[in-house]
Amino acid sequence: MKQATQANSGRTMTEELKQTHAIRCRALCKAFGDVEAASGVTLDVAAGRFLALLGPSGCGKTTVLRMIAGFETPDRGEVEIGGRRVGGPDVFVPPEQRRIGMVFQEYALFPHLTVEQNTAFGLNGRAHRSERIHDVLVLVGLEGVKDRMPHELSGGQQQRVALARALAPRPEVILLDEPFSNLDAGLRDRVRQDVRRILRKAGVTAVFVTHDQEEALSLADEIAVMIDGHIMQADRPERLYRRPATHRVATFLGDANFLPGQASNDRVECEVGTLPLMEDAEGEVEIMFRPEDLLLTLDENGPGEIIERTYFGHDQMLSIRMNTGTILKSRLVGCCRGLHEGERVRVRVDTPVMAYPYAYGCPVAQA
Amino acid sequence: MTPSNPLKNSMFVMLLFLVGVGLVTRALWLERVDDEGAITIYSGRSEELIRPLIDQFTEDTGIPVHIRYGQTAEMAATIMEEGRNSPADVFFAQDAGALGALTQAGRLVALPDDLLQAVETRFRSPRGYWIGVSGRARVVVYNPDRVASDQLPDDLAGFCDEDWRRRVGWAPSNGSFQAFITSLRITEGEDAAAAWLTCMRDNHTRDYARNTAIIAAVEAGEIDAGLVNHYYIHAMRAQRDAAMNLRNHYFDSGVLVNVAGVGIVDTSQRKAQAEQFVRYLLAETAQRYFTDQTFEYPLATQVEPNPALPPLHTLSTPDMDLSDLDDLGGTLRLLEKSGVL
Amino acid sequence: MPTNSPGGLTAATPPSTVSRRAQHARGATKRPSLSLRTAAGVVAALMLLPLIYLIIRTVELGPQILEILARPRTIAVFFNSLGLTVAVTASSVLIGVSLAWLTVRTDLPGRHFWGTITCLPLVLPSYVGAFALIAALGPNGMLQRLLAPLGVERLPSIYGFPGAWLALTLFTYPYVQLSVRAGLRGLDPSIEDAARSLGRTSSQVFREIVLPHLRPAIAAGALLVALYTLSDFGAVSLLRFNAFTRAIYVQYTGALDRGAAAVLALLLVVLTFLILLIEYRLRGRARYYRSGTGTSRTRTRTRLGPWRYPAAAFCALISLLALGVPVLVTGYWLLQHEAGGQQWVGSLTIMLNSVTASGLASAACVLAALPIVIHAVRHPGPISRLMERCAYIGHALPGIVVALALVFFGARYAPYLYQTLFMLILAYVILFLPLAVGSIRASLLQISPRIEEAARTLGYTPRRALYSVTLPLLRPGLFTGMALVFLTCMKELPATLILGPTGFHTLATRIWGATEEAFFARAAAPALILVLISAISIWIILEHEEKE
Repeated sequence: MKQATQANSGRTMTEELKQTHAIRCRALCKAFGDVEAASGVTLDVAAGRFLALLGPSGCGKTTVLRMIAGFETPDRGEVEIGGRRVGGPDVFVPPEQRRIGMVFQEYALFPHLTVEQNTAFGLNGRAHRSERIHDVLVLVGLEGVKDRMPHELSGGQQQRVALARALAPRPEVILLDEPFSNLDAGLRDRVRQDVRRILRKAGVTAVFVTHDQEEALSLADEIAVMIDGHIMQADRPERLYRRPATHRVATFLGDANFLPGQASNDRVECEVGTLPLMEDAEGEVEIMFRPEDLLLTLDENGPGEIIERTYFGHDQMLSIRMNTGTILKSRLVGCCRGLHEGERVRVRVDTPVMAYPYAYGCPVAQA
Repeated sequence: MTPSNPLKNSMFVMLLFLVGVGLVTRALWLERVDDEGAITIYSGRSEELIRPLIDQFTEDTGIPVHIRYGQTAEMAATIMEEGRNSPADVFFAQDAGALGALTQAGRLVALPDDLLQAVETRFRSPRGYWIGVSGRARVVVYNPDRVASDQLPDDLAGFCDEDWRRRVGWAPSNGSFQAFITSLRITEGEDAAAAWLTCMRDNHTRDYARNTAIIAAVEAGEIDAGLVNHYYIHAMRAQRDAAMNLRNHYFDSGVLVNVAGVGIVDTSQRKAQAEQFVRYLLAETAQRYFTDQTFEYPLATQVEPNPALPPLHTLSTPDMDLSDLDDLGGTLRLLEKSGVL
Repeated sequence: MPTNSPGGLTAATPPSTVSRRAQHARGATKRPSLSLRTAAGVVAALMLLPLIYLIIRTVELGPQILEILARPRTIAVFFNSLGLTVAVTASSVLIGVSLAWLTVRTDLPGRHFWGTITCLPLVLPSYVGAFALIAALGPNGMLQRLLAPLGVERLPSIYGFPGAWLALTLFTYPYVQLSVRAGLRGLDPSIEDAARSLGRTSSQVFREIVLPHLRPAIAAGALLVALYTLSDFGAVSLLRFNAFTRAIYVQYTGALDRGAAAVLALLLVVLTFLILLIEYRLRGRARYYRSGTGTSRTRTRTRLGPWRYPAAAFCALISLLALGVPVLVTGYWLLQHEAGGQQWVGSLTIMLNSVTASGLASAACVLAALPIVIHAVRHPGPISRLMERCAYIGHALPGIVVALALVFFGARYAPYLYQTLFMLILAYVILFLPLAVGSIRASLLQISPRIEEAARTLGYTPRRALYSVTLPLLRPGLFTGMALVFLTCMKELPATLILGPTGFHTLATRIWGATEEAFFARAAAPALILVLISAISIWIILEHEEKE
């Protein structure tokens, strides 16, 4: 896990130092009884960036968010917001003084206040209060319903009120806890884009917690994958998807094929041939490539047989059983070209693949 | 609707606030009552009965009185719990048992001899710690139109007779009745008291909730006789001013006269005024008041009872210290054991 | 993109109760502020005063304790009380739940009317109510006189267990009814609709869905009923049931033995803890009744069909017994006395006294309940739970025990406060705090801790968040709590007599004073005023509920 963060920070160490960080977490630890929710979480978010904290339920990501917000005190480690130390062994700045905005999973709107009053809640005694309320409501597109009560709004509108309320006091950072999980699937996509647009426009740094990798990949500038209380890897979405640091990260971010192989410098020998490696390696390794990297050619004498085909419209997923018994997945964009169940195929991988030390992570496993 | 009208809400809160201010003001106002030199009386007798008398006392002597009303036993327990800091100067009890208990706890002071002389020994603490003020006799109420007075038995045992089956009423949950049973236990012994109770129960004596209900039942002819205190018929007669044809029958012996009495609390800071109050209760005015208003027996020897009552000296009371009436627990056990309660 | 992430497919479904609980617990782990913990601790310590007093009195006894406890009568009476408590609680739950359901969730004709009327018996002091029942159903009572021409010579005796059971049930079931009403209103109707759509009949829905959801509400109401039954003296003494409180009173009033009384009262405290434990088990883990996004408010009422008539008759019978009889009897007293008009004189001061003491006590109870409840709900743990449970001790003790405990402490350690209104209000708080705790807790449980956190992120300190978010949202619970405490204080007797400022009369003491001397006509006017004022406070509760 240490390697994971280092791998990331190694890339841009000098560059990062120059940047101002809106949020810095250093080795945060938090345990609830016997359960370690966060063990040594280190995380940086550059100003103006949109970071997704991605992980399966119960991995501790919400706890990290709540430590940043100040609702939990870390057992060890430090939190900085906007260059100011707000949590650590000797400091604790309460949430109300951290200049954060938070959007809760169930929105936590004040049911006794109107949309406008909710938005105004954090603006007590500030200059240009009404202009700010107006601006924020226009930004989220709720100017027309400002006199409604929260229960008179749709789920998506409630979501935007929560956002407006959090944005109004111009916080240093915005924290969003599973912000889209309460929306139904049809609405979710649109609201996601709305939120992204609004946050961009507001130019605010944001961290959002999600267990949905698709959401993280499509929304965030950067993703930190958290599993079992550890940050496994933090990187830009494309890089994370293409170059997951470990077997588990690879699996968590999407479908993956794993094969044993024998590596030597920038090449690896495996069941589907000699493949280029992303990074040099030596000896026994486990290689990983995405289903879309596996190319198929119909061939009656090919070593693989299509055993299952799932059609999604824009693409399709095929399962191929090799003669050795290994099962590989292939995603194909476009139409069918006669790839049906029972057909025999040859397989090929052109793009460089990831290689993990064999002892590292799990042994070869079904993706 | 969720409260959405801020104006209405703030008005409501304001109203609540005003009410609150009003209540607090009133509470503070209440606390300011403070008369110098007032004596504090803990009274087991109800306000309905003695308020006019207390007012008269203040008027006659100029001594203001703070009076706390409650159940006799609760007031006694309160004095005990208050310990050294008890505000009470005088304890005015409805019955002798509670006075006995306070005496035993050492919370009453001995009264001066000349005061004690005013009352017969049988109606006060033999050691002089409390003194009876008024008395109520246990009698049998009957309707002379239905029962001739010579048909009534001379003693309690007579009601156990077959003749009186289903014709007698009593009120086993009533305090006066229970005090009467206590006296029976003390004078006749547990076994005799138990035997009498069982016998009465087997004779289908009718249960009533209280004395007044017995009177009403006798009047209505449901029963022919009832065990009650003597003053009810007089009080009811006065209250209704209609003719009520009921009479009291007094047994030849063992007529319990329980007393309402007073004692001075040992921690009192105003013993002199307290004593003045006790004296007042035993003087003509107060004694007259009891006689005329509540139809109780005046216990001060020099005052004649209401002419409707047989004179005290004709009543043969049980030979006992009334302080011993405090063993109510034993009586309740007995009443329950014999199936009366 | 198809997904193989463990949570990916479930994203569209609302979070399960389990994860909600987990989050609740997560919000709760933050340590309470010192001031909150101190405030809760002070209140809990005050609540312990009666217990400390009882222990002091008991310890004085020494070896005699065992002898008192071992008396066969003590044990028999203990089980009498236990039996009565179980019976009254069961019947109150039965009546309270049926009435609440009928008046909230069915098309019963005159629902609103019955809903209000059936809650009113709560305002009757048990000593008035029990007396009226005796007058009506007792030997030579009204019913017997009505039946006499038909040759009925003797009714089954009202005294003893049946009478006490009937009276206490009739005057306590509204606790369950009020609590369940609130629970029914908080229940998300879509859950029921879901169950109906899965092929359940309406009675199955009631059994399988509604009842389990109402469990915390029923448990809360039943707890109040059970504790009231344990502590009641008025009804059991008038109806001659040998309950534990009567044994305690006999020690005080008969033997004037405070030690023995204390031993028995301590036994009552033990029983109380047992009941609290049972309630805690029954209540289950606290839950939110409604998720934040629910906007549907349509509620279908169960059609009673021909059952309308027996249902209405049931409501009428309960109202007649619990409210009609006492009011009729009181009215009869009033008419019986020609000079009835005179009895209203001086009532104003007394009424103001009652309202002053009860009003201040209800405000004090709410103020005292707030730290206890916030501490217990927002920071659950053994300590906060213990503090909350302490609030219930006084409620299960007979008024005289609490009053004497305060006499003991007040006269010794706070002579300047002794026999002031302050002391009386303290006694009311100790006696009736649970009424406020229960309704405020129910309200607070429905406010997500996230809402307070949202205020924190917007720059509000915990205290300001409390004032500007939590308290406004808690208002329904605060009002209900205040009203319940208010009307219970209005009828309180023993503590008022013993602890009130000297010369301080209330409606309750006036009624008592008059009935004591059998001047029923004089008791009638204050009794009717008491019922009237209390009825107003019940009306406020119900009106408020209606708005929520």
